Amino acid sequence: MRRALPDLAWTLLLAAALALAPTALKALFQQASVSYLSLASNAMSLAVLALSWDLLARTGQLSLAHAAFYGAGGYTAAILARLTGAPLALALPIGGAVAALLALGLGSVTLRLRGIYFAIATLAFAEVLKAVVQQLPTGIAGGAAGLNVPPLFRPHFVPGTMQRWEIAYLSNAGYFYVYGALLVLAILVSIVAQRSRLRAAFTAVRTNEAVAAVMGVRPARAKLLAFVLSSSLVGMLGALEAERLGSVIPDGTFAISTTVLALVTPIFGGLYTTLGPILGAGVLSAIEETLKRTFAEGYLIGYGLVLVASILFMPRGLVGLAGRLRRRRPPSPPGAGPESGVVADASSGHGGEAG
Amino acid sequence: MELTLLAQGLVSGVLAAGLYALVSVGLALAIGVIGVINFAHGEFFMVGAFLTYQLFVSFGFDPLLSLVFVAPALFIIGAVIYLSSIRYVLRAPELNQMLLTFGLSIVLQNLALLIWGGDPRFIGGVPYRSVGFQLGGVSIGLVPLGSFVISLALVLGLYALLARSPLGRAMRAVAQNRVGASLVGLEVDRIYLVAFALSALLAGIGGVMIAVIQSPTPTVGFAFTLKAFAIVVLAGLGNIRGILWASLAVAVSESLVATLVPNGDSLSNAVFFAIIFVVLIVRAWRTP
Repeated sequence: MRRALPDLAWTLLLAAALALAPTALKALFQQASVSYLSLASNAMSLAVLALSWDLLARTGQLSLAHAAFYGAGGYTAAILARLTGAPLALALPIGGAVAALLALGLGSVTLRLRGIYFAIATLAFAEVLKAVVQQLPTGIAGGAAGLNVPPLFRPHFVPGTMQRWEIAYLSNAGYFYVYGALLVLAILVSIVAQRSRLRAAFTAVRTNEAVAAVMGVRPARAKLLAFVLSSSLVGMLGALEAERLGSVIPDGTFAISTTVLALVTPIFGGLYTTLGPILGAGVLSAIEETLKRTFAEGYLIGYGLVLVASILFMPRGLVGLAGRLRRRRPPSPPGAGPESGVVADASSGHGGEAG
Repeated sequence: MELTLLAQGLVSGVLAAGLYALVSVGLALAIGVIGVINFAHGEFFMVGAFLTYQLFVSFGFDPLLSLVFVAPALFIIGAVIYLSSIRYVLRAPELNQMLLTFGLSIVLQNLALLIWGGDPRFIGGVPYRSVGFQLGGVSIGLVPLGSFVISLALVLGLYALLARSPLGRAMRAVAQNRVGASLVGLEVDRIYLVAFALSALLAGIGGVMIAVIQSPTPTVGFAFTLKAFAIVVLAGLGNIRGILWASLAVAVSESLVATLVPNGDSLSNAVFFAIIFVVLIVRAWRTP
C-alpha cells in the first residue's frame, strides 16, 4: 500500500479544494457561481458514475445494468421519503445498500457468463427491474408517473440578510459538498483497488479466470466484491440525484443513457485507472456544455462524433494518450526510478486484455 | 372467447417473428462473419423506415415501391460506414467495437431527430394498410402477413445464399477461420464489406415494413438493436439457423403476454427480457 501515498495525498488535496471551492467561487463570481456549482456537480456526478463502472470493468464484467442500480438508489430515496419520516440524508447509505444487495443477487447468477452474454444478461436485468418498478402499486412507487422526492436542501429565504440568488447558491453549494464527498469516496475506493492486492486479483480474473483460480485467487469473490462496491457507489449517486432532481420516474431514472454515460466516460478517459474516469468526466462534461451552447438542437450528434473519433484515434483513452506523449521524450538517464502513478498503469491495462 | 384470444396472440406473435428474424439475421451476419459487435444495427432499420417515409411524402412512393430504392441505398450506406470506421476496429477489443458502433448509433439517431423531429411519422393513405381478413375468429392484417412473408423469404434466401452460393461459402469460411480463408485465396476484406453492407440492407428492408406497420420514431432503431442482440445471443452466437426459432419463441411470448395479460402491453417488453435473462442463466449453469 506504500505506492498509494502519492495518490492519497492528491486525493486529500482534491478534497480540500472541493471544500473551499464554493466559498471561493462565490467570492469571485457572485451570482454566476450558482451555475458553476451546478455544472461542477454534474461533472462530479459523471465522475462517480464513471469510477464505479470502471471498478466493475476491472474484473472483466462489462455491465449494462448500471442504470438499474442507479435507479434502485433513486427509488429507495423516493420510497423512503414517501413511506417513512426518515431524514433524507439516510437515503444515500440505504440506497447504496439496496443497490449492493441487488448486485449481490445479479452478480451471483451471472458468475458463469462472459463477454456479450454477460452484457445482455445485465441489460435484460435492468429492463426487467424497470418494468417491475413500474408495475408496483402506485401507492408505493408511483407507477408509470413516478414519485416526487423532497429535495435534500431547502434553504430558507430570510429577507434583509441575503439576496434572492443566495438561496440557489446555498442549495447548490450543499449539493456540491455532498457530490464532492461521494466523489472522494469513489476515488478512495478506486485507489484502494488500484494499489492493494485487489489490483492483482481483479486483473487476474479479468485476463483469465481459470488461471486466476489456479493461482489462488477466488474469482467469484473478486467479481462479487467488485460488483458490490461498484453498485453501492452508483446506488448512492442515484439517491442523491433523485433528491436533487426532485422526482423519480421509471423511464427517466432507469434510462439506458445512464448506463451509456457510465461506460463511455471511463473508456474515453482510460480504463482500469483512477485518473481516467475523472479526466473523462471532466472533458466530456465540458464538451457537452460547449456543444449545448453552440448547437442547441443537435448537440448529441457532436457527442457521438467525439466518441467515434476517440475510439478510432485514441483507443486507450485520454490517459493512454498522455502515456504515449510521455514516452516520446528522450530516455531518462540510468538510475531514474520507474514511472509511478496512474499513467504507468494505463499502459499495462486496456489493450489486449478485454479482447 | 379465451381460445380465440389465445389464437390471436399466437398468430400475431408468429407474424411479428418474421420481422424480428429479418433484423436479427442481419446482425448475426455481422457478428458471425465479421466478428463486429454492431450496436448501430438498429439504426439501419430506422434509416430504412424514414427513407420510406420520406419517399412517400416527397414523391408519393408506395412503400412496396420504396423497397427497390431503400435496399440498395442501405447497402451503400452500410458499405460507407464499414469503410470509414468499422474496419479499423475489427482487431480491437469487443469493448471498442461496442463503443464505436454505439457512437455511430448516437450520430444516426440524432441526425434523424434533427431532420425529421421526434414525433412518430405516419404514412397515411396507403390503400392496403387496413386490409385484413378473418380466419376462424382470428383477424390477420394484410400488412403484417405481407411483412412476415417477405421477411421469411429473405431469411430463407439468406440461408440458401450461405449454404449454396460461392459468396455464402466464402462468408462461412471467413467466419470459421479468417487466416485460413485468406490463405486459400479469399479476399477477406471484401467479404467483410459485402457481409456488413448486406446486414445493413436486410435491416433496412425491415425498416420499410415497420414504417407501414407502425409509425416510426428516430428511437425505434435502438429498441430493435437490443431485441436483435437478445435474439442473436439466445440463438447462440454464430448460429444463424437458430435465429428463426429464437425470434419465434420471443415474438410469440411477447404477443401472448400483450394479448392475454391485462395491462400486458407495457409488460411485454419486460417479458421479452425476462425470457432472455432466464435462458442465459439456465444455459450458463447447466453446462458442466
